[in-house]
Amino acid sequence: MQHTITFTFDDKPITVTVPTNTMLSDAAQLAGLDIGQPCGGQGRCGRCAVQVTDGNVRRRSTLRLSPGDVGQGFALACQSVVEGDVSIYVPPQEKIERRLTTDRVVAEVTVPEGYEYPSDQTVRRIHLELTPPSMDDQTDDWSRLQTALRLQANINKVNVSLGLLQTIGNVLRVGEWNVTAVLEYPLEDLEQPVRLISLQPHHVDEYSPLWGCAIDIGTTTVSVWLVDLVSGQVRAQVAEYNGQIVRGEDVISRIMYANKSGGGQELRQRVLDTINELLETACKRVKAKPEDVVKATIAGNSTMIHLLLGIPASNIRLSPFITAVNHPPLMRAGDVGINIHSQASVDCLPGVASYVGADITAGVLSSGLDVAEDVILFLDVGTNGETVLGNRDWLVTCACSAGPAFEGAGVVNGMRATTGAIEEVWVNSDTFEPTYRVIGGGKPKGICGSGLISLLSEAFITGIIDKAGNVNLMKSSSRLRDGAHGGEYVVAWGTESESGEDIVLSRVDVDNLLRAKAAIYAGFTVLADTVGIPLESVSKVLIGGSFGKYINVEKAVQIGLLPDMPWEQFDFLGNTSVRGAYYALLDWRKRDQITEIAKRMTYIELSADNSFYEAFTSALFLPHTDMSKFPSVASALER
Amino acid sequence: MPIEIPKDKWPGSIKIVTIGATSAEGGTRTKSISVGGQASMPYLHYEAPMPNKPVIAIEIKSRKPDDWSPLLVEAWGETMAEPAQWAKKADEAGADIIVVALTLADSPEDAVRVVKSVLSATGLPLIVWGPGQVEKDNELLVPVSEATNGEKIVLGICEDKNYRTIVATAMANGHLVQARTPMDVNLSKQLNILISDMGMPKERILMDPTTGALGYGIEYGYSVMERLRLAALQGDAMTQLPMIVTPGYETWKTKESKIGEGVPEGWGDWKARAINWETLTAIALVESGADIVVLRHPESVKRVKGAIEELVTV
Amino acid sequence: MALAGIQIYKLLPQTNCKECGFPTCLAFAMKLAAKQVELSACPYVSDASKKQLAESAAPPIRLITLKAGSEVKAGNEVVMFRHEKSFYNKTGLFIRVKASDPDLAKKVTAADAYKVNYVGMDFSIDGFAIEADGDLTAAVKTIRTVSKRPLILMTKDSALLDSSLSLLAGESALIYAADASNYEPLADLAKKYKAALVVKSDSLDGLADLTKNIQAKGVEDMVLDLGGRNMGEWLARSTQVRKLAIKSNLRALGYPVIAFPCDAKDEGVAAAQAIAKYAGFVVLSEFKPELLYPLLVLRENIYTDPQKPIQVQPGIYEINSPNPESPVLVTTNFSITYFSVANEVEGSGLPAWLVVTDAEGMSVLTAWAAGKFDAERIAKAIKTFDVASKVSKKRIVLPGHVAVLSGELEEELPDWEIRVGPREAVDLPAFMKQALN
Ligand code: SF4
Ligand code: FES
Repeated sequence: MQHTITFTFDDKPITVTVPTNTMLSDAAQLAGLDIGQPCGGQGRCGRCAVQVTDGNVRRRSTLRLSPGDVGQGFALACQSVVEGDVSIYVPPQEKIERRLTTDRVVAEVTVPEGYEYPSDQTVRRIHLELTPPSMDDQTDDWSRLQTALRLQANINKVNVSLGLLQTIGNVLRVGEWNVTAVLEYPLEDLEQPVRLISLQPHHVDEYSPLWGCAIDIGTTTVSVWLVDLVSGQVRAQVAEYNGQIVRGEDVISRIMYANKSGGGQELRQRVLDTINELLETACKRVKAKPEDVVKATIAGNSTMIHLLLGIPASNIRLSPFITAVNHPPLMRAGDVGINIHSQASVDCLPGVASYVGADITAGVLSSGLDVAEDVILFLDVGTNGETVLGNRDWLVTCACSAGPAFEGAGVVNGMRATTGAIEEVWVNSDTFEPTYRVIGGGKPKGICGSGLISLLSEAFITGIIDKAGNVNLMKSSSRLRDGAHGGEYVVAWGTESESGEDIVLSRVDVDNLLRAKAAIYAGFTVLADTVGIPLESVSKVLIGGSFGKYINVEKAVQIGLLPDMPWEQFDFLGNTSVRGAYYALLDWRKRDQITEIAKRMTYIELSADNSFYEAFTSALFLPHTDMSKFPSVASALER
Repeated sequence: MPIEIPKDKWPGSIKIVTIGATSAEGGTRTKSISVGGQASMPYLHYEAPMPNKPVIAIEIKSRKPDDWSPLLVEAWGETMAEPAQWAKKADEAGADIIVVALTLADSPEDAVRVVKSVLSATGLPLIVWGPGQVEKDNELLVPVSEATNGEKIVLGICEDKNYRTIVATAMANGHLVQARTPMDVNLSKQLNILISDMGMPKERILMDPTTGALGYGIEYGYSVMERLRLAALQGDAMTQLPMIVTPGYETWKTKESKIGEGVPEGWGDWKARAINWETLTAIALVESGADIVVLRHPESVKRVKGAIEELVTV
Repeated sequence: MALAGIQIYKLLPQTNCKECGFPTCLAFAMKLAAKQVELSACPYVSDASKKQLAESAAPPIRLITLKAGSEVKAGNEVVMFRHEKSFYNKTGLFIRVKASDPDLAKKVTAADAYKVNYVGMDFSIDGFAIEADGDLTAAVKTIRTVSKRPLILMTKDSALLDSSLSLLAGESALIYAADASNYEPLADLAKKYKAALVVKSDSLDGLADLTKNIQAKGVEDMVLDLGGRNMGEWLARSTQVRKLAIKSNLRALGYPVIAFPCDAKDEGVAAAQAIAKYAGFVVLSEFKPELLYPLLVLRENIYTDPQKPIQVQPGIYEINSPNPESPVLVTTNFSITYFSVANEVEGSGLPAWLVVTDAEGMSVLTAWAAGKFDAERIAKAIKTFDVASKVSKKRIVLPGHVAVLSGELEEELPDWEIRVGPREAVDLPAFMKQALN
């Protein structure tokens, strides 16, 4: 029997006639429409979704689509056959991608609900009108200022630095006794004096921004958020590779390097340079000056904080792994070397142990794990692979050195998730031809973390690599070839790439990625085992890490990075460390909460026995040596 | 006080693997050997009968080795120069299977000739090992495999970096493979998965978890074997394969076995100690689940056989 | 059933006061679960919790200590398979002697003096089992002039035992053996002299009856002789007893087992099985170093803590018959590291010397991170193993991951050429072919 199919594409209807049981994708081709089939029409990628607006098709598989989608008429062109006359709407690609159930888009950054300036904020800006001095009132400038603070801001005790004291006479007069003071209120003890950070010789508009910054110093990536403390809004987000990376990819190499003569000083300078350049970029974006930034809150792993502060870190690496300080006191930016207002406070958040630092306590805060009723697993998919498991009653944590592969470092064509990074790959299982998406849409420069996950998974599912990661050179495709480190797969030919060189996934990259994912998987399985909690009882998995704006959960499960659980149980939080620092920057209660979190967390040392190693080797396989832990992948492989 | 004996009922059991083919089965062996089939931990007959008992393979080389212990040379004498003679003598010494270990000096033609000569000298099933070098293994084993099509020889040794060629030729010619991994439960499983992913039926894979000799890491091999067997019984299909181990090879390179002079007095008589070393290593492995033990000294063969007899007599 | 960390945590005060010496109650709970601390370290546990926790902690197999000038312990085991945790109290190896033997003193002296070294540890026998085929009392006297090791007295004659045991004041000997016919007088003696008593029966039912009866007489320290006509039967019984004690918590069989390979067809083989399969004490027919040494090593291997990382022995390993020109590769003694390097090189057919350093069983990167694989340690290994005497071309290849060490190593070993190899073992053959030559 013949049927009439009307496709609507770009508002233009095209009609073709086909026999019963024709695949929609074939019908579309007949109609001259090019519906991309990145997975080779296998029903794996969902990119060929179309919407049936009238009539009916038989869907062989709806794997990518939610029941809601199907309800709205969505069908996979490569998996649906014609049984009668139908009208089909072919939506534009972007619209489809957004529908796919497996993508987890990074949680948006919004001002925490209920944030109130100034009551939540430790830094406040106050407009003061001083009575000008006269022959009758010869009170000195400083006392006059103090009086104004007492009368107009109810501040009885105030501290000031010598540097600032040297300038107040001038500022008061330039401002004609109308000035704006930026003050910092004590965090812990309200009896403590308030501190004067700066004095400006004019009246600043009450709603104009008061700048603070949240900084996350990652082993691989440094992120800076520039925040308006008045509105609470994040006004600029910037990130760059940590300048220390040339001196070693992991914390251990950094500690070793810092031990050499001059090494510590060099590393300190390198990270300061990275931070200061990022601050400059961020400030430029909002047309502010770094000196306008009056508060900095810093999260980072213990080693990064030690190196930033120039504190010897060597004991972090040596058994029994002891930091010099888990919770540094408040410091001045000028002393630390961060180029913002020299009197601005630098608040380094508290960590738990050598390998579970403030980045994780901040991460826990931002994920809300410490107040959750059900058991939640929090994974930081980064160089140090920190993991936290728990709820409001108990918290355990561990760290496993995963390496920087998922941050794009240590992988031949890896890069950070910025413009030019391939962030998603689909491979046609018949031809091994890839389809990829590049951040920013231009020519690819390399592959970022989410791209690597997606690529590894596709290579595995299509048989380009075997379960142990060996590239299968018996397959015939020019994209599979013998490279410098054994077999490799060409993702983008030089003709397509920005540099003109081929972008490849090499055997060594695969090994690095396998090790990284195995370490992370082993970390949380051992953690769950040690406390005796079955993974099934975890209600949610929160993923942190410096991926781009999204991560494909299905792919991450397919390579065995994430546990095989229903997709809705995963949330992708992006960089949780800088987010936690942001919350702490805004609200002193949140800041207190981090201290509490650090006290409550129980750190598990994975090297104490063999169990981590065992779990690691069993995870060093795709997706895992124990396939029964990955039923969804087993069934995907069968298809 | 009547005691109720606790019995484990396991959901899984070991696959039965048959080595060697008789003329009725398309080969030329006088009999084939089956191993595996257990449904309990080793020798717990009160839990489940043991359909096949462990067997002993004797290792011979394609050329007379110049680095074997004088004790072994004394035991095998002249025959070592001629693989066919050596195999015959091993047969007489009680071997159930002959392992022919090829060497780097062999050409593909040598390898084929040696294997064929052993096939005609004895009716026992064969295991053939390459010299242990990726390229050379493939170069020798492929022609051997083709020249012995249908004999159901075990070809070895597959490792995770080099398994494709050997598995492919074994599949094409009706042979079996020996899959070796370095004393790790997960690695064993992984290689079994890789090999069966190529389409090789599990009934044609022997897993070799590797062992250390007594005093040289036997405890790791021992526990890995116990764990593999437990996993198999618990139902993990990828570990339900019979295990082959090589205590002969491992022990005869230790100085406790190899050397008679300049060793501590506390070690006692050389020959007795050397044979104890091989025998006790083999026994420990038999206790932990070995299905095939590859030995070198005829005296050890006799003792291990005796022990197995005692263990399987109910 | 032992409780998991989280279950124990729920029984603790959850105040994180740190008085137990751990940062949080949960940390303490996990140490408790691993049986690495005593509950008493926390001053704030409620009585109800204490009761619950105590129940999950009692050892299923009684600890038996034989004591004289030295001590040997058996029991307190908690698992069927060593990988599940560990086997703890090494099988005691006893040499059987005959009271009638005119050379008794000489034989005991020789066996008593036996000492053999295995990877830095000194092993010896644990004691003697005296067969009362002659004057037992006299034999005990004789032995005590030449050996202070614990004794097993093998007779059923209670008068003889009484007089012999009276010579062993302050010791805990082992009496062999009580059966249904004689357990009463023997139990009395065991009680009187604080000796342990072997009970013997050819069935588990019989054993359980005996231990109950003897327990009723106030004797707690017992050892089981399982009988059995061959290795297979003994193995079945030993496994059953262990399982009943550990899994079914059957107190009546919660005792260590004694085995007599001396009576077996092949003594060495039977002794090996006994050591591997749960015997607490093993009696050997005579003092023969050629059998004793392998058994002592087997015992050490089986009773090694499997939770420790898998290690290979540090030393210099020859791969593919190296000559003095061959390169010297360096790696750590973590077994998997060693295997991957050794296999790659072996598979390449290229000769090399492989120096395995003592990095406490850690992989290259971990060991380096923890300071266990540095220039100093490598240099020490090169010197200890006298590598210089084996090669003419003094050239060391470092793993690529520790390239940073090359400078320091040059200082430590000034007359050696230090080369940095690849990071991954896979790349070794290519490196050896291209870069070395
Ligand atoms: S002493 Fe008790 S209450 Fe205090 S931390 Fe330790 S376990 Fe908790
Ligand atoms: S799902 Fe249809 S082409 Fe991929």
